[in-house]
Amino acid sequence: MGYSRSAEAYWKLLRVTVEDPNCPVMKKEAMSYSFYDFNNALQQRNEYVEDRLKDGSPVVAISFDGGILLLTLKREQRKVFEVYDRLMMGVLGKQSDIESLRIAAIETAHKEGFERSPDDVSIQRLVGFSLSPAVKKIYNDQSTIPLTFRAIFAEMGLKAENDHLFVLGYDGEFKTSAGAAVAAGTVYAEQQAMDFLKEAKIENREDALRAALTAWGIGRARLSAKKESDEEEFSPLADRSENPMPSNSDDPVVALKEAFKDGLVVEAGVLERRTSRESKFRLLTTKDMASVLADY
Amino acid sequence: MLDLNSGRGDFAALLGNNAPTNTPFSPATINGNVLSSSAMAGNGLADTHIHGTTVIAVKYKDGVINVGDRRATGGMAIMYDKAEKVLALDDYTLMAISGAFSKAMDIVRYLRHAFKYYERSQLQPMSLDGKLSELGKVIAGNQMAAMQGIGVVIPVLSLFDQQANEGRIFFYDAGGARFETAEFGAAGSGSTQIRGVFEYIAREKGPFREMDRDTALRQALLLLEIAADLDAATGGAGKILPLAKTITADGIEDVEESTLRSMVGEILSKEPLSVGPQR
Repeated sequence: MGYSRSAEAYWKLLRVTVEDPNCPVMKKEAMSYSFYDFNNALQQRNEYVEDRLKDGSPVVAISFDGGILLLTLKREQRKVFEVYDRLMMGVLGKQSDIESLRIAAIETAHKEGFERSPDDVSIQRLVGFSLSPAVKKIYNDQSTIPLTFRAIFAEMGLKAENDHLFVLGYDGEFKTSAGAAVAAGTVYAEQQAMDFLKEAKIENREDALRAALTAWGIGRARLSAKKESDEEEFSPLADRSENPMPSNSDDPVVALKEAFKDGLVVEAGVLERRTSRESKFRLLTTKDMASVLADY
Repeated sequence: MLDLNSGRGDFAALLGNNAPTNTPFSPATINGNVLSSSAMAGNGLADTHIHGTTVIAVKYKDGVINVGDRRATGGMAIMYDKAEKVLALDDYTLMAISGAFSKAMDIVRYLRHAFKYYERSQLQPMSLDGKLSELGKVIAGNQMAAMQGIGVVIPVLSLFDQQANEGRIFFYDAGGARFETAEFGAAGSGSTQIRGVFEYIAREKGPFREMDRDTALRQALLLLEIAADLDAATGGAGKILPLAKTITADGIEDVEESTLRSMVGEILSKEPLSVGPQR
């Protein structure tokens, strides 16, 4: 864990390959590489991160009339967090990186909320102007290991149409999403889960829970377009402590049942639009989810 | 940039690390005179600070009730009749404030952030004792200002102790020392006038902590009305309804306005007797 070839190490390897006239792999391409081949270096960084994110437990956010739901499945460590009065986040990735991101988000929000006003703490400002540039800086720094995560940030408005969902990536890029958002192991999986959510009819928290679970199953089971997932090479670098190898089925229900059998549990946070409590955020209890989980 | 060397959930430290000034209640940052701004200029009150007056906390069988009048005064003038002096710090903590309003509101804002920042960053709520110390520290930090007459704040803190499953009430002195009370607490200009009444009620009608909500609430409202009768700075309930909140195992709730209105109406309906021989 934590090991990656630095650009320099890669260059050394490359030079050896180039100097060897019998090398079959690099023979043609070798000439096109310069010492500072940023494209190649970035590709390597992306591969490093993507490889580790691939088997992560997806995170699903759904905005509905009563608030916003953020759901994932976890083994031990929490993945869904309250950030500020009307802000929460759900992350997949390396635990230590999740922690850095979480603390950075919470500290920035609280400082701003106290020194200015809680009303000035917005997801646009937090993700767009604070976190994204900071994450991008780390990603661009060739001397560091990139942060390994995909995160959803959710901000609850006074009405559902004022809710905001942002998905922030390890390279600092972020996209906004209306109504629902998914962060999963691959872009393909995210698209598949989003396609499902776009069609789902969600009126209350129970609908949202049910849809989010199915979306999780899709995001987990359909990582790539090709059917034969056993063709995928096994990467020894991937962190599988949380998630064992996925099965061949692309059925979300099968993926969920397998995950539950494997000891994963649902972690779901909600921001409640119409609560009289001082805190809008709370984690759902097993009792809150009992009727939906009974299906599995 | 993400490398922020912290991790204790200490909000004062977070502010201290980055803020150009010191923590919010150090003498360095309290010299600003809130009321010398243009809003107050020209009415002869430029150097007066607005004060909150009487707040009361009593226990009852499910938790704690806090009531407060709505008046805020500046010297001899009534400055505001809709002041909220009973404020939620988190789901199980109420702070009833008396004294300098500007400082008190700053303290409330600070503590709200401090408690929530701790809970959100540490993934566990701050302990009851931790919260009490945090408030003590803030009041102690304000002591220099208080001695200069810039603003004394005397709060009453009510919490629901989830481990003991009961409400608890604490009051503070101007130096930050805290004291737990068995049954009731009060602060503000009208509180000294009614101290004996608490004792009388508890001895005559039985302990507050055994009363149901409405019985305890009626006593608290009556106490507030007596304070308003005996203290010029405390607002009576006749003009604007007092504020009443409860903390129980289920969290903080406002007492519904209809209940409040009917109780206050009942209390106010008893007119004072006339003086002299009755005809």
